[in-house]
Formats: sequence, structure tokens, C-alpha cells
Amino acid sequence: MSEHSRREFLVRSATAGALAFGAKDLLAAQAAAADMTIAKWTGAEATSNSQIDKVAAQLTEKAIEGLGGMKRFVSRGDVVWVKPNIGWDRTPELAANTNPAVVATLVRLSFEAGAKTVKVGDNPCDLAEKTYDASGIAAAVRPLGAKVVLLDRKRFRETSVKGERMKTLLMYPEILDCDVVINVPVVKHHALASCTACMKNYMGVIDERRPFHQALPECLVDLTRFMKPRTGLHVLDGVRILQGHGPKGGNPADVVLKTTIAAGVDPVALDAFGAELMGRKPSEIGSVVKGNEAGLGTMDYRSLAREIAVS
Amino acid sequence: MTRRRVVNGPRVRRAVQLVFLVLFFALLVLARPRPGVDPSPLLHAFFHFDPLILVSTWLAAHAVPAAALLSLVVIGMTIVLGRVFCGWVCPLGTIHALASRLFHGRPRKPKRPDHWSRWQLAKYYLLVAFLAMAALGGHWVAIFDPLVLLYRTTTVALLPGLQWAVEEGSTAVWQTDPGIGPMRLNSVTNPVYELTRDHVFVVPDQAFLGAGWIAAVFVVTLALNAFRRRFWCRYLCPLGALLGLFAWRPLLRRKTRPETCNQCDLCGMACHGAAAAAPGDGWRAAECLGCLNCTDSCARQSLRFGPAGPWKRAAAEERLGLSRRAALGAAAGGVAALALVRANPQSRGRQNHPRLIRPPGSRPERQFLERCTACGLCMKVCPTGGLQPAIAEAGLEGLWTPRLVPKIGYCDYTCNLCGQVCPTEAIQSLTVEAKNATKIGLACFDTTRCIPYAYARDCMVCEEHCPIPDKAIYVVEVEVEDRQGNKKTVKQPHVDPDLCIGCGVCEHVCPYRDRPAIRVTSSNESRNPDNQPILAELDWDDPY
Repeated sequence: MSEHSRREFLVRSATAGALAFGAKDLLAAQAAAADMTIAKWTGAEATSNSQIDKVAAQLTEKAIEGLGGMKRFVSRGDVVWVKPNIGWDRTPELAANTNPAVVATLVRLSFEAGAKTVKVGDNPCDLAEKTYDASGIAAAVRPLGAKVVLLDRKRFRETSVKGERMKTLLMYPEILDCDVVINVPVVKHHALASCTACMKNYMGVIDERRPFHQALPECLVDLTRFMKPRTGLHVLDGVRILQGHGPKGGNPADVVLKTTIAAGVDPVALDAFGAELMGRKPSEIGSVVKGNEAGLGTMDYRSLAREIAVS
Repeated sequence: MTRRRVVNGPRVRRAVQLVFLVLFFALLVLARPRPGVDPSPLLHAFFHFDPLILVSTWLAAHAVPAAALLSLVVIGMTIVLGRVFCGWVCPLGTIHALASRLFHGRPRKPKRPDHWSRWQLAKYYLLVAFLAMAALGGHWVAIFDPLVLLYRTTTVALLPGLQWAVEEGSTAVWQTDPGIGPMRLNSVTNPVYELTRDHVFVVPDQAFLGAGWIAAVFVVTLALNAFRRRFWCRYLCPLGALLGLFAWRPLLRRKTRPETCNQCDLCGMACHGAAAAAPGDGWRAAECLGCLNCTDSCARQSLRFGPAGPWKRAAAEERLGLSRRAALGAAAGGVAALALVRANPQSRGRQNHPRLIRPPGSRPERQFLERCTACGLCMKVCPTGGLQPAIAEAGLEGLWTPRLVPKIGYCDYTCNLCGQVCPTEAIQSLTVEAKNATKIGLACFDTTRCIPYAYARDCMVCEEHCPIPDKAIYVVEVEVEDRQGNKKTVKQPHVDPDLCIGCGVCEHVCPYRDRPAIRVTSSNESRNPDNQPILAELDWDDPY
């Protein structure tokens, strides 16, 4: 937070001023100051994949707009790393990966905010090339000019994270070298963590992560503590959520259409919201509770969030 | 007297050899799997033009893929022109020619006379023995086919060796970033590394079990060139022997003009195949590789290739001289060898090796071995690198045939490449849906090491990765006591034998890297009813 405070202050006052000057209503001025937004689709239910993608893009735009626009997070000349969940060799309808339309919208908004380079990448569990392909994300962001990066096993670097459970982690230098990371998880079921979102999505910037599962909440807290200052924005994909047989899914019956996008700067609050979206209590989710205790954010997301109805 | 030729035969031949050598390796590199792209049927073109694969597979399995009939073209070519396939096309032959050149210098200056030797008949007797084996279902000859040998060696040993050098070298440079001033060595090595990573190599750190032995066979056959030029081609090659039999009375034969030949033996010194028994004389059609070095080297133009009808018998001293008795002995030896090779419980079907997990679509073991040439194409296209050459798991008969080693790489859920590329259909081509309904094995937990069982901590990495939509691994929450006597709940994973297809991703991702706590064995494999301990769930919709 501290690294960004001056930039945030300037952006916020400028935006608020501009909005006030533009004689917008008071609510819109408040919107500029929101630290978390929840954009919900209230229009007719989207049925086809292309309709869902269109709604997803619209929701993403509104959620970012509610936070004060992408300029709050991305400055001119920045190198941006968009970090979706590209974990599994599954198609978008199966909700095992972040919705490609959401990722594409963030890439577009980043470029519009002046980003010099936008890189998109994750460390998939399945075969990387196939996963990037099946997820639809590579095809969605390439035409926008984003650089699709396949993380290279040989280029991870032992990095000191000074955590309580983990002292060092194998991290991907190209991600850490970026000016800003945009963390874009999808809300999914997970047999161990019950619900995963922002904090678990950081598993994609590291390698050799298998032993983590023996103390998942603690390890996620260490990882989030290290990554949070490097992350400008978290966008939670709740367009389609995977309600069971996560994190890989594969059965369309486990996918629930929620047409919701939440965005903000607090990963714990977003994860708490994600848990509720899945019908769980935030207090049941180990990483949310531990993240709250560690001061990485608040699990009382209602104190931050502003709902935006989109139709 | 000297007459300038317009076309230099050996030069044209070398150009053709180079083209085929490059084509061979290019097709091998192009076999690298690409998402969303079906493999080209050209990938196994060389195998389909290989008459030895046609003959031995037909003898062993009494069936061949239609495309293998393309090798009749090579047989036809050999009947007309002799063993030009060996001299002009075979990439392994070209490599042996280059190695011979390395050992002996320019072909016109060999260290000693290099004439036909009776030992060159050895390859024919070996072939007879091997074909006798094939007739009884032992397909072993194919693993010594020159094209198969080179493909396997390149895939399993040479390319991984190159990959190791590129990866380790460029990573060392990347880590230390040496350079002079603004010039960084990394800016040279990294593009090479990235190009090969993205277009040549399949999996980082790819390696194959027993690659050293496969490389050793190759190195030994190369080294034998120091003893005699093109040693493999002259003495051992079973494909060369087969083509030699078809070159019985070729339409194009060498003729010597005795009035001008002064027996200087320039032709004998230059001959690739050691086809002639004496200077300018005793030329054996079956041993001639058609390299054209003899006609090119002859200073007196005493040699030329001219037409001869198939009714025209070769002179007694120019015949191959195979003995019927020796051939029968070789055939008997082949049968005996097969009896010995199969004298183990695995070959008798009395045991199933737990780690012999065949690729999905593989035929039942006996039929599989009747077809598999161990060429390594399936191992080349396997996107996880999990298909590995068997060493002892399938018995000596199944040496270097493919098996899945989940610790190294698993069977990817949306991949069916191995069946698509298998040149002899030992692995049948399946749709992805059919493949995912095919069991290749069954996973089982080793509860003495599995973390939630043995150490009362959660883990679940295997469950996370299980690709079956409804999960073949499920968890049961149980209450356990830790060392201090505190009660805690842990999630213990179990395998559902009806859903598990044995893909092995669970074993691959298990945190244990020495001996995973979940392991796949060949149990339940669809292809072998004798290896299915689990009673299949009854299908109640069944009309019967």
C-alpha cells in the first residue's frame, strides 16, 4: 500500500475532482474511492458462450471503473503482468481457468491506461502449451498485443520471501521485474482449501509447490505477503464458478453461472467474497482466516465493497 | 583417352544422400507435438518405405497397415537397380559412409585392399534367422532395422544429449550473464535456447531410461567402421540383406572390359559395399550399393553399368554363394533363439509386469510384440516424455518397446498422439473419447508413506490433478490423533477403480520424488482380461 500511496492519492483526487467537475452525482464520486467493487449482471440471463463473454467483458469494465479506472493501477510506460489462472487443459465453459474475455478486457484496459507492455502468463499444472490453447486465453489476448509468456522451468530463481513457513521460494523473475501485477483468479472448488481465489492464484508464480499443500493456509499467507505489494489490482472472475471436483473440474454439471466480477486491492476481502459466492462462509476458509489474522486484508469484505448492478 | 563426364555420379549420389539425411532428421524434429495440430502422416514416411518392416510385420502379425505397402516401391527399385536404397537413400548408411570416411580418409586411399569377404554372408544368415523368428511371431528383427535403429537412437539418446548441452550451457550463461561491456553472451545463447526449446525439444530435461545402452549400440556400430568401411551395411544390416536378396539379378549390372582393365584396384579401394572379390572382377550384384565410385575412379573407363535381362545368370564367381545348409541352420537357430527368448514367465503370460504400462490403444501383449518395431516415434511425440523404452519389463523380446513411466511423465488426458503416429499400428489410433475410456492401469496408495495416512497431514496433490471429470480419487475425512494425543481431521485419498484409467498423473505429481506414495500398475488394463483383478461394475442398463 505504502509504495503506491502517492500515486493512488494523486489519481484518486484527480479522478474525484474530474468527476465532481463533470457534475456527476455523489455516488459516482464515492465510486472513485472504492477499494472493492462487485459488478453483478442483472440483465437477461446470458445463455450462449458469446453472450457470456460479452457480459463478462462488460462486468470487468464496470468493476474497474468503480475502482477509479485502470489508470489508478497502471501508469504510462508500465510493464504489466496479467496473472490469470491458466492451470488446466480445459475449455472456458468448464470454469477451470479464468474466463478469457475477462483477461482480454484487462489487457485492453491496461494498454488504454498507457502500459508499454502487457504480459500474460501462468505456471500451469497441465502441459503449458495445450493449457494456454484450451483455456482460450492465448487466443483472446494475442490480437490485443499482449505477450503470451510460457513460464520456463529452467528460469525460476530461488527468491527470499522471508515468510513464517517458507523462507525462500522458486519464483519467476520476469514476473517480479514487472511494474505491476494484475491477479485474476477464478472462483473454484478445491477439495483441500474448499474455495480458492486470489491467494491461491499466486501459486502460479512459483514452482516446486507440491509440499505446500501440507500447510496450505500458512504457505498462502507467506506467498501473499510477498506478492501483495507487487500486485496493483485483483480481479475475481465469478462469471462461471466451479462448484465441485475442483480445481480441474471437467464436468459441466459442476459449473454454475454467477455472472459476477469483483475487483479490488484487498485479496483477503475478495477471497471472502468468493467464498460466499460459492456458498461457503469466509470463516471456513483457512487462508482467508489466516490472511485476516496476518493483516493482509480484511475478511469483512462488506466494509470495503460497493455493489454495481450492470444490465 | 580420358573423357570428361557431364554428370559426376558420386557427386550426385552424395547430394541425394544429404537430402535424405536432412529429410530424415527434419521429419524427426517435426514430430514434436503441437497443440491443436494433428500429426502429419509424413512423419512415418521412412518406415512405410521400409521393406523389412513390411516383411517382418506381415510374417509376425499376418497384417500390415496399407501405407506399409509403399515399401513395394523400394523392392521394385531394388529388383531393377540393386541396393541403391542402401547407397543413396538410407540415412544410417550415409552416417556409416561418413564415419568410414572419417576413419579411412578419402576413399581412394584406403590402408589396405578392401575386397568382398565371405563374412558378408553373415547378414543373410542373420536375416534368415530373424525371419524364422518373425514367422513364429517374434518381431525382433525390426529393432535392428537401420531406419528404426537411427530413429530410436536419435530420439532417445542423441537429441536428449544435445538438449542437455543447450539447456545446461545457456542456463549457466543466463545465471552468470558474462559479457564484455554492453555485449552479453546471453544475447547469443538465449535465442538459441528459446528456439530449440520452442521448436525442437519436447519436455525440459527430457531423458530416456537406458539411453546409454541405446547410444552404445550406435557408437559400437560406428566404431566398427574403423575395422572395415561401412561395416554395418556389409556384415550386419538385416534390411541390406533383404534388399540383397531382391538384387538377385538386377536389370542394371556392372561390366568390366578385360582388354583395358589393368587390375589397378582403384575401383576396389573406392567401393562402399566391398562388392568385388578381386580387382575389377568378381562383382556381386547383391553387395553393390550403387555408389558409382568404381566407374568414377577407373582411370581407363574399363567399368560401366549396363542392362542385363533377368534370365541372364551371373557367372559362378559373381554369385552370392549362400549355402542352403547354412540357411536352414540359421532358420533353426532363429527358432531356437525365440524359444530361449520366450523362456520366461512374462512371455508365457504367467505374470504381468506391474510396471509394464503400455500406451493407450496398445494391442494385447502378444499382438503388440508382433508389430512393435521399437522405433521410438511414440516416445518422440509423447508430450509429457512419459513413454520410455522398456529394458527388462517386457522380457528380452520387448526390448526398447514403449511403456509409460508415470514418475517421468504421465498420459495426458487430451492427447492421443502415440496411437496416431505408430507406423505398424501396434498402438491403435483412438479418438480422445475412446482413449479416455481405455484403462492402461490402476493407481493404488502406499498408505505407509502417503502423507495423510502416514503422517496425519493433508496433502491432496494427486486428487487435485486427477483429470477424470468426476475424480477417480476421492477423499474421506477421518479423525486421527497426533503425537501429543490431539484429535484432528485429515482428508485421506482413495482410488475409485471404476473411474481410474491409469494415466499416472497422480504418481507424477506426488510430492515423493523417490518412490511416489500413489503408484500406477498395469492392473485393470483394458487390453488384457487376464490382468483385471477388479470386478467391473455391472451396467444395469444392459438389455441382457
